[in-house]
Amino acid sequence: MASIQLRGVEKSFGAANIIKGIDLAIADGEFVALVGPSGCGKSTLLRIISGLESATRGEILLDGRIVNDDSPRDRNVAMVFQSYALYPHMTVAQNMAFNLKLSRKDKQEISRRVEEAARMLDLVDLLERRPGQLSGGQRQRVAMGRAIVRNPSVFLFDEPLSNLDAKLRVQMRGEIKLLHHRVKTTAVYVTHDQIEAMTLADRIVVLNRGVIEQVGTPLELYNKPANLFVAGFIGSPSMNFIDARLKDSASGQKAELADGTQILLPARPFASKSGKITLGMRPENIVVERESGNMAGTVKVSEPTGPQTHLVVEAAGTDMLAIVRADFAARAGDGLRLSFSPNTLHVFDAESGRVL
Amino acid sequence: MANRTSRGLPAKLGLALCYVAFAGFVLFPLVWIFLMSIKNFGDIIAYPPRFVFAPTLSNYAEILFGSEAERASGQVPDLIKFLMNSVIISGGAVILSALIGIPAAYALARRRDTTSDKLRFTVLSFRFAPELVVILPLYVIYSRVGLYDTYVGMILVHQLITLPLMILILASFFRDMPIEIEEAARVDGAGIWTILTAIVVPIARPGIASAMMIAFIFSWNNMIFGLVLAGGNTRPVTMGILQAMTFDQIKWGVMAASAMVSAFPGMVAAVLFQKQITRGLTLGAVK
Repeated sequence: MASIQLRGVEKSFGAANIIKGIDLAIADGEFVALVGPSGCGKSTLLRIISGLESATRGEILLDGRIVNDDSPRDRNVAMVFQSYALYPHMTVAQNMAFNLKLSRKDKQEISRRVEEAARMLDLVDLLERRPGQLSGGQRQRVAMGRAIVRNPSVFLFDEPLSNLDAKLRVQMRGEIKLLHHRVKTTAVYVTHDQIEAMTLADRIVVLNRGVIEQVGTPLELYNKPANLFVAGFIGSPSMNFIDARLKDSASGQKAELADGTQILLPARPFASKSGKITLGMRPENIVVERESGNMAGTVKVSEPTGPQTHLVVEAAGTDMLAIVRADFAARAGDGLRLSFSPNTLHVFDAESGRVL
Repeated sequence: MANRTSRGLPAKLGLALCYVAFAGFVLFPLVWIFLMSIKNFGDIIAYPPRFVFAPTLSNYAEILFGSEAERASGQVPDLIKFLMNSVIISGGAVILSALIGIPAAYALARRRDTTSDKLRFTVLSFRFAPELVVILPLYVIYSRVGLYDTYVGMILVHQLITLPLMILILASFFRDMPIEIEEAARVDGAGIWTILTAIVVPIARPGIASAMMIAFIFSWNNMIFGLVLAGGNTRPVTMGILQAMTFDQIKWGVMAASAMVSAFPGMVAAVLFQKQITRGLTLGAVK
C-alpha cells in the first residue's frame, strides 16, 4: 500500500499540452476517481502514475519516494485496462501468475495466491480456460484477478467497465467496491462516467483540458460545485443553467431572468462585477406544481423512467429539465408553475464560471 | 430478392473465358515441363510436339537414384546432394533471419519515429536492388575471406532475400497487435526481452510461421547466388537443372525432371499454406 503525490505534473506530446500542471495528493488506502470528458488527460495521468508514460515536468511520488525514473516494474503498481489486455495464449491461471512468476516466487506460493484470488473473484472453475473462451464479464474479472494476485501498492483502473453492458457494469461496480473494502489498497480509477465515479470513489478529481477543476468527496462535488464545468458534469440528469442579473431588494438578493421573472437567492451576499450571473438548479430540486410557483412554464416533453418522470419544461425562454413523481400526470402542452427553494440554487459568475 | 452479384449468361461466359485464359497462361509452362519430364528423348525432340506418348519415369529415376554408373559405384546422385544443400541453405537462412528479424521487426513496429521509418525504408530497399548488383563484388570478397562455396557464406548471402521479407512482413504483423497487452506485461514487471519472448512471439506465431514460409520459398527459388557463390560442395537444387547440360548433350528430360523436383516444395507449400501466405504478403496493406 502506498500514498501517491503528484507535484506540478505536466505532459506534452510534441506541441500539444495534454496535462498542464497537476498537483494532487492521494492518501494510503484511498479510492480516488479521475473523471472528465474524453481528451481531458485522465488516462494520460493514470499512465504517468503507472510509469507507462513519463511526465514532461513535475514529480510523481509513491510513499514519499520520487519514482519519475522508475520503470512500471519498480513501482509495484497493478493496472486494469479498458480492453482487459489479457494474454490470449495463456490460461486464466497463467495470466494471473505471470507477475508472480516474473518476480520468481516459488510455485507453491504462486498457486496459493492464484487460488485465493480466484476464489475471491469467483474464477475457480475458469482457471484452465483461455481468455478467448470467456465472456466479457469473466475477462474483466480475470483482469482484476491479475491485479490483486500480486498484492500491489497501488491499483490503477483505466475505464475498466466501459466495454461491458449496462447491467454487468452495475454488478462489476459493486464488486470493485467490495473488493476495495476488503483489500484496502490505494486505488486510482479513471472513468468518463460520473455515476461510476460517484458510487465508487472516496474522492473525485474532475479534470478538464489537462487541469483539475475540483477535488472533493462525491457529495461535496454534487452539493458545492466550484464552477460551471463541475456543476454540469456531476449529477445526472445534469444541472439546468439560466442566465440572470443580480438584483437587490428589500427581501434579499434576487436573480432577474431575461423575461423579468425574479428568483430569491440564498441569504448570502453575492457580488459580481458585471452583475451577470448564471443560475444553476438541479432537476431533482425544482418544485413543479399546477397552480402556485413563481415561474410559468409549458411542458414540451414528458419522459417516464419508472420511478420518476423527467419533464422538459419551456420557461423563461429556455428549456429546463425537472424531475417529478411518477404519478404526476403531465402531457406536452400542459401549463405548469416552477419554484425553487433558495438553498438549492447554485449561483455562478457568468463571466468566470466560478461559484459565487 | 435479386442477388446483386448475379450476372447475365454472356458476362458469366466471358468471365469464365478470362479465368481459363489466365489459368492457361500460368499453368502452361508448368504442364509443358511436367510432360517433358515424363517423356523419353525421342518424344521430347519430336516435331510437331507429341501429346500422346508412352510416359516414362526414367528421367526421375536418373536424378533421384543416380545414373547406372553412379549406382554401380554407390555414389549419392547429385540432385539429392543439391536438395540437401538447398534445405540447409534456405532452412539456415530462414532461421537466422527469424533470430535477427523478429526483434528488428518488433523494434520497427513499436518505435514510431523518423529514424525507424528511415530504417524500414532501408530494409525495403534491399529488395529493390537486383542481386546482380552485389553478386560480382561479393564473389571477390567471398573468395578472399574463404566464404566461397561454404554453407555459412550461402546462408549469409541469402539474408539479402530472407531478412527484408521477414522484417517487413513481421513489422506489419506486430504493428497490428494491440499494444495494451504489451503494456499489461510491462506493468506486470516484464522487461523488453521477456515481453518479446513470452508475450509477443507466442501471440504472433501464425504471422511468424507465414513469414518464414514465404522467406523459405523465395530463398529456395533463388538461383543466381548458387550459380556464382556456390561450388561443388554447396550447390543448391536450382543449380541441378544446369547439370543436365553435359559436355556431349543436353538431357532435356533430366532437366525437366530436375526443374519439377526443385519447384516441388514451393508448390506444395503454396497449396497447403495458401491462406497464410496470402495473409503474410498482404499484411498491413488492408489497414
